[in-house]
Formats: sequence, C-alpha cells, structure tokens
Amino acid sequence: MLMMRYGKEHISWRRGIVILSVVIGLFTFGGEKTNAALLDGLMDWVEEPLAERIAKKGQRLTTGNFYTPERPDSHGPLGVMQDHTHNEGEFMMSFRYMRMNMDENRTGTMTQSLDSVLKQYQIAPEDMHMNMYMFSAMYGFNKTVTLMAMIPYAEKSMNHGTRMGGQFQTESGGFGDIKLSTLWRLWAIEAPSIGTHRFHLNIGVSLPTGDLQPSDGTPMGVSVLPYPMRLGSGTVDFLPGLTYTGQTSDYSWGLQALGTHRIGTNKYGYSLGNNYHVTGWSAYRWSNWISTSVRFNYGWWDDYSGRDNSLNPMMVPTADPLRRGGQRLDIMGGVNFLFPEWMGIENRIAVEGGVPIYQDLAGPQLETDYIVWAGFQFVK
Amino acid sequence: MKGKVCCLGLVCALAVLGSVSVAGAYDVREVEGGGTISGRVSFEGTVPPSKQFQVKKDQEVCGTERSVHEVSVSDGWLKGAVVVLEGVTSGKQFVSAHSRGEEPGEGVFHYGEGTHLSLEILTKGCNFGPFTGVLAADEPVRFLNHDRVKHILHTVSSKDDKGLILRTVHNREIRPDTVVEETFTAGVLKMSHVVGVHCNRHDFMQSWLYVVTSPYYAISDREGGFTIDQVPPGQYELIAWHPALGLKRQTVTVSQGDRAEVTFAFSGK
Repeated sequence: MLMMRYGKEHISWRRGIVILSVVIGLFTFGGEKTNAALLDGLMDWVEEPLAERIAKKGQRLTTGNFYTPERPDSHGPLGVMQDHTHNEGEFMMSFRYMRMNMDENRTGTMTQSLDSVLKQYQIAPEDMHMNMYMFSAMYGFNKTVTLMAMIPYAEKSMNHGTRMGGQFQTESGGFGDIKLSTLWRLWAIEAPSIGTHRFHLNIGVSLPTGDLQPSDGTPMGVSVLPYPMRLGSGTVDFLPGLTYTGQTSDYSWGLQALGTHRIGTNKYGYSLGNNYHVTGWSAYRWSNWISTSVRFNYGWWDDYSGRDNSLNPMMVPTADPLRRGGQRLDIMGGVNFLFPEWMGIENRIAVEGGVPIYQDLAGPQLETDYIVWAGFQFVK
Repeated sequence: MKGKVCCLGLVCALAVLGSVSVAGAYDVREVEGGGTISGRVSFEGTVPPSKQFQVKKDQEVCGTERSVHEVSVSDGWLKGAVVVLEGVTSGKQFVSAHSRGEEPGEGVFHYGEGTHLSLEILTKGCNFGPFTGVLAADEPVRFLNHDRVKHILHTVSSKDDKGLILRTVHNREIRPDTVVEETFTAGVLKMSHVVGVHCNRHDFMQSWLYVVTSPYYAISDREGGFTIDQVPPGQYELIAWHPALGLKRQTVTVSQGDRAEVTFAFSGK
C-alpha cells in the first residue's frame, strides 16, 4: 500500500534508512569492538600462514598499522581521491584544480563528424571545456574512521553548431554537489620482506547542492541548459568504494573501485546514471621529495532514467537522457612533491594529466580529449 | 518495519559487545605474614649485538645514530627480564617506581602507587623509556611527549604465543609537550600478554611491556636480581619474560614469612 502511495520516493527513503543503519553499525563496531582495523581478528587464515613464512626470514608480521610515512608517494596520484586514511586527530586540507577538454562527437568507439550529427539534430555540441575547483578536508575521527568533505566549484562552457550553419556558446558555473564521505580502515599487514598492504572501505553520500537549472542565451533566447552543463545530480547519491594501497621502500601502488549510486529521482523527473570507476596506479619514489606515477582509470556510466520535460531530446543530443552512458579508459601520468615540514605542517604539491585510450559512448556525445589535475595539500 | 527493528538490534548488539570488558579486578588488602620471592636471571651464550639505526628525522633532537640493546647482559646476568607472579587476585598495593631508558635516551616509565599501576610514559630524547616494562589492561596509560618534535605512537599486541604476528592497538600522533591517554582494553588485548610501544617516525624508539594484573612483579636489575615481597602464602606460577628471549615458567611455593629463592636461565643462540 505504502509502495503504491509513495512509489519510488518511498523506496529511496527505505534505502536511506538501510544505508544509515549500516553506517551507524560500522561506527559502533569500528570504534569499540576492534582494534583500528575492522577486519582485525577475522583474517587469521591469511595472517597465520603468512607470518610463519615471514618468520623464516627472521621477521614479524604487523597487522593494522595505517600510519602513512611522510614520503611523496604516500598519497596517491592527485586525481585519486580518498586513497588514504588519517590517524586520529590528524587534519588535511586540499585544493584540486581539474581541467577537462572535450572535442568532437563520438558514437560507440567511432568519431562522428559535426555534419553527421546535424543530420539527426538541429543543434550539435562541438566542444566543451570544464574547470573544476575542489576544496576538500579530511579528519581522523577515531582510530578507524576518517571523515572527508568536498565542495566543488565548476565552470563549464560548450560551443554548439546549428543545422543552419550558425554557432553559439553557452556557459554555466557554480558550486556542485557536496560530497561527504567516511573511510573505514579494514585491514593492513606489513613486514620488511612483503612491504605494506592496506585496505579501506569508502562509504559516502553526495548531497544535491548543485544547480540543476542553469540557463544561458541560445538562438532560441535564454534557455535552461541541457544535462552536461548542469552542476549537480539533484538526487542524494550513495558513494560506496573499496581501496587497496601497497608500499615498499621506493615503490607504491594502489587499486580503487568507487561507485555512485543514485537514490530516487530529482524534482525535475530524472536521475543521472549510476557510475563506477576502477583505477590502478603505481609510483616510484626518486628521492624524499619527488615521486612519479602512472595510472589507468576505467569508468563506465549508465544513461539517465526519466527525463526533464523542459528539454527537447530531438533538438540536441545533450538533451537526450538516453545518450548519456558510456565507458572510458584513461592513462595518466603524475608527479608528487613533498616539501619539508613547516611549523608541523606537511605540504605537498602534485600534478597529473592524461588522455583517454579507449572511449565507447552512447552517442553522439562529446569525447574527452585530455584531463589535467593540479593541486596542493597540507596535513596538520 | 521488521527490517528496521533488525538493523536497530544489530547496532545495539554491536554497541554492547564493544563495551564488554573481560578483565578481572585486583583487590588491595593488607597482607599478613607474607613471604618474599627473590632470585636472579642469568644468560648463557652469545649476546646478540645491539641494533644500529641511522636517524632520518629530527636529528636535532634524536641525534644522528641510535642503537637498541635488546639483550643487556653483565657478567652473565640478564637485565630487564620481567618476572611476574601469576594468579594473584588480592594483596599489597601498587608501589611507585621510576625506570629510565638507556643513554642517550631520557625517557622514563613512571608507575604510580595505590590500587592501580597508573603507568606514565614520559618520552624524552626520542626515547620512551627502558626496553622492558609492565602495563595493566583496562586502565589509561598516559603518554607525555617532552620532546620538541612529534612522535607517532604505534602500539602493538602479540596476536599469537610465538609473537609472530603483532596487532596494532593504537596509531596516533603525540605532538610536542602534549599528553595523550590510551587504554589497552582486555577486549582488545584478548589473550595477549605482550604490548610493544613504537614510534612510527623514529624506528629506534621501541619498548616492550608485559601485561600484569597485580603489583606482584619485578624487573631484573643490572645484576639480574629481582625481589617480589608481601606475597600471600601459597603456590604460584612464576614467569620470567624477555621480549627477545621468550618466556620461562616455574612453580614456586611461598610460606608465611619465608624467602623463596628462584633462578631463571635464558640462553642465546
């Protein structure tokens, strides 16, 4: 009965309760019952045979140590977020700038000319540039949980061509969806001969604070801008993930899977597609202050469900909710710099950039040309 | 509704589990006609060389080179062995004591008096204190950092009898001139009797503590000697433990007003 009365909204509320219960349960479990790592005591079947093997080399296996030594690669490449946890009471502020350029249309894995898109639509996107400024903070809440908050500010511009041969540009800008996340220390093992291996869980939510109805001048007058120019999802999104990192004396590496699961539908009658990212990286420490990294990032994202009735999907492909899905594999290179501690503050600067090596889009959609990250972090 | 009740139940159950303590309490009472256990701890064989460390951080405070003497032997007598009388649930009160780390370290273990061990670890000169000491479960340990550099406290408990697996208990920063309190709960220590206190920034900062439940313990001195007094008459298990050499055990009988002489012998490779 309730389901019939409240429909999808009721389902999203129920999901919210389940998520909250899981988070509260984990908080309780994490804070009281165990050592720092949630899986401590549950991994004997791995630890005991491993410890026996390591003992033959005269070493001991240490579990649950999440301390990150001050070295340039102790944080992942800049484009990877939530890659490390913090000790209780430790605080980190960071600023990241991301530039993403998209040029030309693509359907599937093939580039599509503007003319061919304009045979299907009256208007077609030509290119898009996005600058995103991300301010984030992390705080070691207790020995198990690290809290993270991130506020993005985005500037987007898109050039369009029309079937009549005209061109126009639209722009949008403003704060996006605020992300709140918790990082849960799961398991860590280390010994001199095997290096360190750490796992943590990422559980977060994205709050619908971004503008869903940005508008700008078009040949048809001031119009609400289509989906890619919008600054938020309009829904509360669930952000689950799992992160693994490893380290030896000069090498480090990591693997992270993060997802965005949309809960319900926004007030304009649609929801963005769920998306999933798997990224793996490896870094080499050249000295105490510089490391370089290479990273592969694979992401796939679904089409939207529902639609905003103020947009005409026959007019321009960016207004079509069924032309939003896709998948992409990027290769990225990065450099991390660690500066000498100053007044007890650890300072870092990092840059990373890369290009897609594979794109398969439910197009026509604009294809990505390159992505660049730059930013700094300080830890107190 | 049923699902919500289940979730709430799960959360409550976890909260209750988390707060359960399994430690037994020690009662302080007057001991009449108590006996004394005294003895010496010997060492035979080759003394392992001290471990040398190049200091990488905070050399202005910690120096450039440090060493850790895990096994300290003088004329065949072992210093720093922890001798513990097991199974005593009531008796004398805890006695105040200081124990200082080896040069150039200036760290001190301070034990309080009364009904609790009240351990304070006064870190100084990049040194927590001596290589061995004792600790009581379920009571706060105060860590004071008297250095002008920060230390990253990393405490571990031995997960198995062989000491092959060390579980992290605490992992936190101690800023200069600050105090943090950490409790080693019996629930977290489980069956472990050994706790390691390390600094993640300075790998030469190492101390090992044996978990005691009563004041009936002693730490062997430079001549390997130890004394445990005011012991209620009875038969006990007496253990001698050293983090690098392991654990020895023997049964000892204490008669009213008498002195029981005991020796422990450890050997190197």
